[in-house]
Amino acid sequence: MIRALSPNTQAILLLTAPLIAGRAPVSQDLLSPSELVSLARKLNKIQHKLSDLLSPDGAELMRACQSGIDAARLQRLMGRGFLLSQVIERWQARSIWVVSLADSEYPRRLKEHLPNTAPPVLYCCGDISLLASGGLAVVGTRNVDDTLIAYASAVGQLTAEAGFNLVSGGAKGIDKAVMHGALEAGGTVTAVLADGLERSTMNRDHRNLILDGRLLLISPYDPSVGINAVNTVQRNKVIYALADASLIVNSDLNKGGTWAGAVEQLDSEKLAPVYVRSTGRPTPGLDALLSKGAVPWPNPKDANELKAVLMTSGPTQVMSHQLGLTLFSGEGQSGKASISTLSPEITPQLEEPVEPKLEPAPTTVDSPESVAVPTTTAAVAPSTPADALFAVARELMVSMLKVPMKDIEIAMALNISNAQARAWLQRLIEEGSIEKQRNRAIYVSRNDMLFGQLWQPIAQFPDCEDNK
Amino acid sequence: MTYNAARALELLQKGSGYPNATFREGQEVAIRHIVEGRGRLLVVQKTGWGKSFVYFIATKLLREAGNGPALLISPLLALMRNQIAAAERMGVRAATINSDNTDDWAQVEDKLMRGEIDILLISPERLANERFRAQVLSVIAAQISMLVIDEAHCISDWGHDFRPHYRLLERIVKSLPTNVRLLATTATANDRVMNDLAEVLGPNLGVSRGDLNRTSLTLQTISLPSQAERLAWLAQQLAVLQGHGIIYTLTVRDADQVADWLKTRGFNVEAYTSETGDRREELEQALLTNKVKALVATTALGMGYDKPDLSFVIHYQMPGSVVAYYQQVGRAGRALDSAYGILLSGQEEIDIADWFIRSAFPTREEVAEVLGALEDAADGLSIPELMSRVNLPKGRIDKTIALLSLEAPAPVAKLGTKWQLTVAKLSEAFWERAERLTELRREEHRQMQDYVGLPFGEHMGYLIRALDGDASLVTKPALPQLPTDVNQALVGEAITFLRRSSLSIEPRKIWPAGGMPRYGVKGAILSNHRPQPGKALCIWGDAGWGGMVRQGKLQEQRFSDDLVAACTKMLREWNPQPEPTWVTCVPSLRHPELVPDVAKRLADALGLPFHMVITKLRDTPEQRTMANSTQQARNLDGSLVRNGQPIPFGPVLLVDDMVDSRWTLTVATWLLRSNGSGDVFPVTLSLKGQDE
Repeated sequence: MIRALSPNTQAILLLTAPLIAGRAPVSQDLLSPSELVSLARKLNKIQHKLSDLLSPDGAELMRACQSGIDAARLQRLMGRGFLLSQVIERWQARSIWVVSLADSEYPRRLKEHLPNTAPPVLYCCGDISLLASGGLAVVGTRNVDDTLIAYASAVGQLTAEAGFNLVSGGAKGIDKAVMHGALEAGGTVTAVLADGLERSTMNRDHRNLILDGRLLLISPYDPSVGINAVNTVQRNKVIYALADASLIVNSDLNKGGTWAGAVEQLDSEKLAPVYVRSTGRPTPGLDALLSKGAVPWPNPKDANELKAVLMTSGPTQVMSHQLGLTLFSGEGQSGKASISTLSPEITPQLEEPVEPKLEPAPTTVDSPESVAVPTTTAAVAPSTPADALFAVARELMVSMLKVPMKDIEIAMALNISNAQARAWLQRLIEEGSIEKQRNRAIYVSRNDMLFGQLWQPIAQFPDCEDNK
Repeated sequence: MTYNAARALELLQKGSGYPNATFREGQEVAIRHIVEGRGRLLVVQKTGWGKSFVYFIATKLLREAGNGPALLISPLLALMRNQIAAAERMGVRAATINSDNTDDWAQVEDKLMRGEIDILLISPERLANERFRAQVLSVIAAQISMLVIDEAHCISDWGHDFRPHYRLLERIVKSLPTNVRLLATTATANDRVMNDLAEVLGPNLGVSRGDLNRTSLTLQTISLPSQAERLAWLAQQLAVLQGHGIIYTLTVRDADQVADWLKTRGFNVEAYTSETGDRREELEQALLTNKVKALVATTALGMGYDKPDLSFVIHYQMPGSVVAYYQQVGRAGRALDSAYGILLSGQEEIDIADWFIRSAFPTREEVAEVLGALEDAADGLSIPELMSRVNLPKGRIDKTIALLSLEAPAPVAKLGTKWQLTVAKLSEAFWERAERLTELRREEHRQMQDYVGLPFGEHMGYLIRALDGDASLVTKPALPQLPTDVNQALVGEAITFLRRSSLSIEPRKIWPAGGMPRYGVKGAILSNHRPQPGKALCIWGDAGWGGMVRQGKLQEQRFSDDLVAACTKMLREWNPQPEPTWVTCVPSLRHPELVPDVAKRLADALGLPFHMVITKLRDTPEQRTMANSTQQARNLDGSLVRNGQPIPFGPVLLVDDMVDSRWTLTVATWLLRSNGSGDVFPVTLSLKGQDE
């Protein structure tokens, strides 16, 4: 059965999604999540919707709404209609669904937790109703010992036995262990993947679970994109935001996707409690998270105890909508109800994004988690070695610059010359991935840029087999 | 975008080559509708109305205003050459990528990348091709300003020509945002097709529809059961019919045979089929310029072929539906005052039609076998791997995989070279649709049978009513009836002709995937162990000797003397070199006498000794129950051995009654040659196709 996409979802895909269909380079014009929200807001002011950009007078609207976004850029993006039909056909044939901010199926909690940075589009494979089921998120790093694997597996099992959905990342280590525990015990799992869905859906282990309605694979990244090609931070935000509560099994200190996601959750969101493991060997990472407001995991021993933890810690499955709305509108929204929770159409958010807080600069940068170096050349083939090098540098620098740094610090951290650091920084500024703070030699990532701009270097796509 | 009427007219005049040309009714409205972006448009106009002017002029106007290129999807691009020439006259840079012009692909791809193509013409099959989509189409996909779907009735389930890949097109259209301009064109669409198209193309579909009546056409139907009678009729009438035309047949073999027959009668005709290859363009030109009396063609010469002064279209067999027939016969007499459309009807057409209908979809068993094999292979299977696991002909495996992969969501998808199960199960709707379409095909076939039975003068009205057109304007036929009787002497000559042709048997060059373990062979077959090219007398059951072979094998358990004489004659004409010095045959445990008997009689007639030197060890299942080549090879492995008699040195005729996969002949030849015989020339009474 094919569900046609709504015109609003078509417009959102055209404006923000890379629409990878082959070897053609991904558009440089893609809107960031915040640019999309801003454009929707401007259109709303003149009584129009995003879908109106598809109408015969769409070109006129692009100028009339005064979005501050170049009308020619919008025109190029909206002109990708045939490309859109190509990729949608491909996704549909592979049972991959698209849910956009404009769809009622888009997880409400994600919109609420990430008002300006929620991924505009989620690619899903499996039972879509699992998207709304919340539950417990369990995260941790890839390289862990057997004790932590056993711990994670037990948490997964308990989550399933208590009848809660489990949200995890589908990566090696903690993610796999906790998923395995939950699925073995007959539970359901929402796996938020850091790579494209296309290959994962064909994996035989996944296939049967998906057919049984027990596993939902979702990703904020294009289904064709290979592993290691994307920044996992965006993915981690989605994991935290989809759950009623999260448990961090372990984390590095000041680095890695687990850390970054947890800190963001603790600093700016605080919509759902963040627990950290409280038994076994303590680690500097978990201790630091405790000091930032994370809560020690109360170690529920059976299903009832876990229920008690999750019921008190966040919205339940049944009441999530009302509670989510209450929490949302009660939390610094000046009493104005968010229109987005009432209407399936995308509507402007009412607040500007929170300023990123200043953190001390990290002294070392070598995290394998947030810095995904494309090692499998079969999957990703940047066009030139220089592009490949810059792709790696971009990921490293954007990740490091989540906290503001000077150019000299970057140069020292990467062990490169100051001139090289400045050259790369300038390039990142030009493409909009980072910005330079006014009158100071301090650079910082544009947090709204995590989505769109990271794509260019990985636009190469492996040659497909000719099936003529 | 603003429509420039003066520029549009100028383009028409350039393209048509007539400085005073003006638009036909509906043409300019259609161009304007598309250019201004006022919504999707369906143009239903008969062939010759000038649909190509609509999309070429629209393309040019869009490009001149800075828009991206257009993409045109058409089933038979080979036939669009004259349209492309017209496009070039108005400065539209048109290019095509299809299986006939692989040499040009690189150049076309370069031009696409540089933005030097205004309209790219491709087939729906090309659109489904992974390599094309990833390597070529992706380069322009983000700029395409207009999609043109030619022969759009194929999108509808009810359209006459069931082309699986239009399913893909249907889905692409459904997910196409409304800001991409879309023009769909067809010459034939009844109300049911129109409703279907409206659903796929959207609620705000503009329609431009002309009338169907062709006053110049004189239609007639003639029943002549045997092929020999119809061949005789053609030879008689082609001598008196004025002008030039097309003779349509249902199969490639019939087209070749009819053309050969007419050539022996002194007519300047040529066969035009899907197997014509490079000569297509030359033959199209030959008919356009009246250098041949007629082309004998399958539907490969169909949509898009434009010869306004075609004075007859004759069908050698009855096509499957009114829509298909009207499309084909409607090519005649477009710019003439009068032309003939004659339908000959014969006895074999029911079998052929039935075969087409039955084989259009895989059976539940076939689907279950293929999906079951994939279920057991967690990492997926390539087509050769499927062939070794599934006892189905390759053609059926290909068809099953193709149709399954065109479903949405598809239960199978290709990753690299291997097919894999996806997370979708095949829905029951697939079978409902298959049953519905099969029933529809049978209904359409019955409708054509009714057409055959109509009295002279009622044919055009019947066709137009069947197509939901307005039959009130139909006039009396302008030409007199053609005679329906045939000259009996000519029928006799046609029978002789039908029995004269022989078929060649090409040697296999490679052992099956995985080799033959019991024989200890694999990979390439050594050239001195391969057979020479061989000969088959006929096709199993065909109109020449085929019926007699079937009767000999199934009813009399003995092949007639006529067949031995025919084989002897065939061998004398063939005269294989080095000349065979002895005869042997393939053994069978099931019919131990049948083949040795006929081989011995053949040897006697040729004056050569007959030696039985090979025997069969075990009773394997009949090769015909092994459905594909890999299975047939495995079935044989180790079963044929020498019987202990000495093998003579000289070249040898290897006789069998029937050849299908050629593995039996291949293994027997290997045994003979590796044990000292000379060259081996296979000879069989009949040849059996894989899918029959």
